[in-house]
Amino acid sequence: MPGLLGRDGFEAVASAALELSGVDGVEVLLMHEWGGNTRFANSEIHQSTAREDTGLRVRVVSRGRVGVSATNECTPEGARQAAESAREMAEIVAPDPLWPGLTPKTDTAELQRFDEATANASPEARAEAVATLIGQAPSGFSAAGAYETVASEIGVANTEGQVCWGSQTQASMTTVVSGGDAGSGFAEAFAGSTNHVDAEAIGRTAARKASASQNPKALAPGVYPVVLEPAAVATVVGFLAWVGFGGRDYIEDRSCFSGKEGEQVAASQVSITDDPGHPDTLGLAFDFEGEPHRRVDLVKDGVFRSAVYDRRIGKEAGVPSTGHALPSPNPEGPFPLNLFLATGDADVEQMIAATEHGLLVTRFHYSNVVNPVEASITGMTRDGTFLIENGEVTGPVMNFRFTQSILAALSATTMIGSKAELASEFFFSASRVPALKIEEFNFSGRSDH
Amino acid sequence: MLDVAKMAVLAARKAGADYADVRAGTDETESLTVRNEEMTGIDRSISTGIGVRVLAGGRWGFASTSRLDEAEITRTAELAVQIARAASRMAGQPVTLSPVEPAEGVWRGQCIEDPFTVPLEEKVALLMEATRRMRNVPGLSYAEGGLDFFRRRTFYASSDGAATEQEVTHSGGGTVATAVGDGDVQRRSYPNSFRGHVRAAGYEHIRALGLIEEAERIGREAVELLRAAECPSEVTTLVLDSGQMELQIHESIGHPVELDRVMGMEEAYAGGSFVTPSDRGSLRYGSPLISITADASLPGGLGTFAWDDEGVPARSTPIIVDGIFQNFLTSRETAPSIGESSNGTSRADGWSHLPLIRMTNISIEPREGTLADIIADTADGIFMTTNTSWSIDDKRINFQFGCEMARRIKNGQLTDLYRNPNYTGITPEFWGSCDAVAGREDWVVWGTPNCGKGQPGQVGRVGHGAAPARFRNVQVGVR
Repeated sequence: MPGLLGRDGFEAVASAALELSGVDGVEVLLMHEWGGNTRFANSEIHQSTAREDTGLRVRVVSRGRVGVSATNECTPEGARQAAESAREMAEIVAPDPLWPGLTPKTDTAELQRFDEATANASPEARAEAVATLIGQAPSGFSAAGAYETVASEIGVANTEGQVCWGSQTQASMTTVVSGGDAGSGFAEAFAGSTNHVDAEAIGRTAARKASASQNPKALAPGVYPVVLEPAAVATVVGFLAWVGFGGRDYIEDRSCFSGKEGEQVAASQVSITDDPGHPDTLGLAFDFEGEPHRRVDLVKDGVFRSAVYDRRIGKEAGVPSTGHALPSPNPEGPFPLNLFLATGDADVEQMIAATEHGLLVTRFHYSNVVNPVEASITGMTRDGTFLIENGEVTGPVMNFRFTQSILAALSATTMIGSKAELASEFFFSASRVPALKIEEFNFSGRSDH
Repeated sequence: MLDVAKMAVLAARKAGADYADVRAGTDETESLTVRNEEMTGIDRSISTGIGVRVLAGGRWGFASTSRLDEAEITRTAELAVQIARAASRMAGQPVTLSPVEPAEGVWRGQCIEDPFTVPLEEKVALLMEATRRMRNVPGLSYAEGGLDFFRRRTFYASSDGAATEQEVTHSGGGTVATAVGDGDVQRRSYPNSFRGHVRAAGYEHIRALGLIEEAERIGREAVELLRAAECPSEVTTLVLDSGQMELQIHESIGHPVELDRVMGMEEAYAGGSFVTPSDRGSLRYGSPLISITADASLPGGLGTFAWDDEGVPARSTPIIVDGIFQNFLTSRETAPSIGESSNGTSRADGWSHLPLIRMTNISIEPREGTLADIIADTADGIFMTTNTSWSIDDKRINFQFGCEMARRIKNGQLTDLYRNPNYTGITPEFWGSCDAVAGREDWVVWGTPNCGKGQPGQVGRVGHGAAPARFRNVQVGVR
């Protein structure tokens, strides 16, 4: 039965690598994960899986030269071999002039992120929840989606004496209900525990949206006011992290925020932080090189404040690490994984009521960067796009392609939801975001459904 | 490892599986990245494990583990059966598999010079020199180069008696020149973006890439792009190079013809398809110049193998012939729904994942002439090269792609340089507007080693033979 290796078990394995002789430093990163995923389509379970894997990633430093080797043989011998392989690589490369040294011994907080019941969720329990969700689909509609439960532990140890370890669980349920003449609806939940995943509510929401999406009409592309539900806002905020908040891009003038520290970049009610230690997200207390995570005000009251840093980029920038390193080697630099868009005082109904002629968007699909320095992205609407007329939702519309600067959208934001939801746009990340009302949003094309 | 796979098959059968197949295997990688003549990343990885897939009560169950002791293998096989039985408690049609002769044999993909034994010093020296040459260009900010090597060994056994061993080796390399200035960032990549050109080959592929020889050219182009005009917004004739054609084929032909997607099995993730089973033999997908083939035996293709991950032998299947849609990519589970047997496209992202329908090598058949001939034959239009971004809707209808660089074509000549080019279209209209496809001289087998599909997410390694082509009445310069 899979289970936690634990801090002591991790240290026992890591020590075999840390004992490597003749080098200046060694760091061991453990990533152990197990879980199950019950996937369904056409209202049947069609792919149901379980997996367990353990990764050991060993970074060796020799006279400022750095090599990394990874293995999934989580034993002292596996760790030792990975360390030897990393040393071989370190010895043939040139010294890194910006090598900041390994993380010194530092206290890191203990976060309670592990839920035993979620870690041990059975395939039967997942199947039962999926059956409950599917049961919400009306006659003539079917549900597709996935219910995943995952447990993981992360450990970092190095020859400077730093040892940190943490564990967490995640439960995510997502569904698209479709059918009728034509139309689909989406709903999801992403949480640290199965206790916070309400299959019935998720199924009911998606079914309601699918019913309301029947026979969408074709509306001309153009600039519209929009109400973005949290799933759509998670895409906006997630891509802003990608094109803007990483310290490497920022100091190299390749970020949409480069040179804009202290400048107004969004509406004054927009504040974005990265706060992995917050109880309402799923972050760990430390990053992948063992630095304690720090809360970072990225955008405060619409003003850009700071990017995030790891040790190497921080040294280059002349600032301390904010605890945002990804697993080494990471040529792309640091990245924020636990974003918060501050809530406001409106609800979605109030945003709709305040819209004379606009669109309500459930979520975006297959988005990608168009121009990183302009923070412009493109993508499609999906699974519930509706016309708002005179303060009321009057019917579904065919899906639009948008091509839009995120910063321009955030600058045109006039209302912010009072409730935030957790969503994951990218691997290992979790953003907690509310709904937004944006006065101008550019839809550049349209699909046929 | 084949013995381990066979042991797991027996354990699954003992646990009650009606059918079981098992893949034991090892994935090995090596990756090097140099930036401005400094190493920014050098790493290796090795991952070993086993994945057990079973049918019990008419439903699939799958479990994988990285621990290979007998007790863990038994536990994993039993878990796979438990998962299948949990699924079978819900109503639904039982899975039916199309027949296949149990495969037996050993196969190794093409690899002349083992990239894992080429000295690291040599690889580093290549990237250092390539980035040094790029930095000779005044005004260039960043010069990057990378090499990636991948080897997968798969040991497959099934309760039908299949027993195979396969090994594939993939090698890739590329360079990127980045110019930063006046609030803008421009980049040029060689031979392609996103880590370059990856092929099923050994280090001989890297030696033939010309990373050093082309370094200064892409450096100059990146700097020139900073001063170039924005790509105009207009409806015009569009000529694409083979590198961009690779992704155009991938997103708007390869994915829509996956039968599991057509059947709704990917609905909640990247979505479905506009193509339906009744479209076979009748849907006009493109102009008569468009013929597309799925060929799992294509030399150099990342989707080349001897057997897929269900033990079905590699084959070549016509997907589109002279513009008319003919066949889907199928698996043993999905093919019976259209009265067919699997055409061998079921593959998994290593031992830890369930096989899904994945593209093999989805290629456009070359026609005649060269890219230069197409440009010479174009009175007015835009030429775009090298992908930067892609996006397509949940039925694979509305797409938008960005490229690194464009030039105006005027009276058969490449003229003004444009930055930030992109274009958008509707899949059948776009392919229907194609009136030129280049021939074998400019046809290149590209690799896409990062194709996402499935939940949990899997990364597929697929190939595309692509030739430059011309399309009429395309919206470019989307704002």
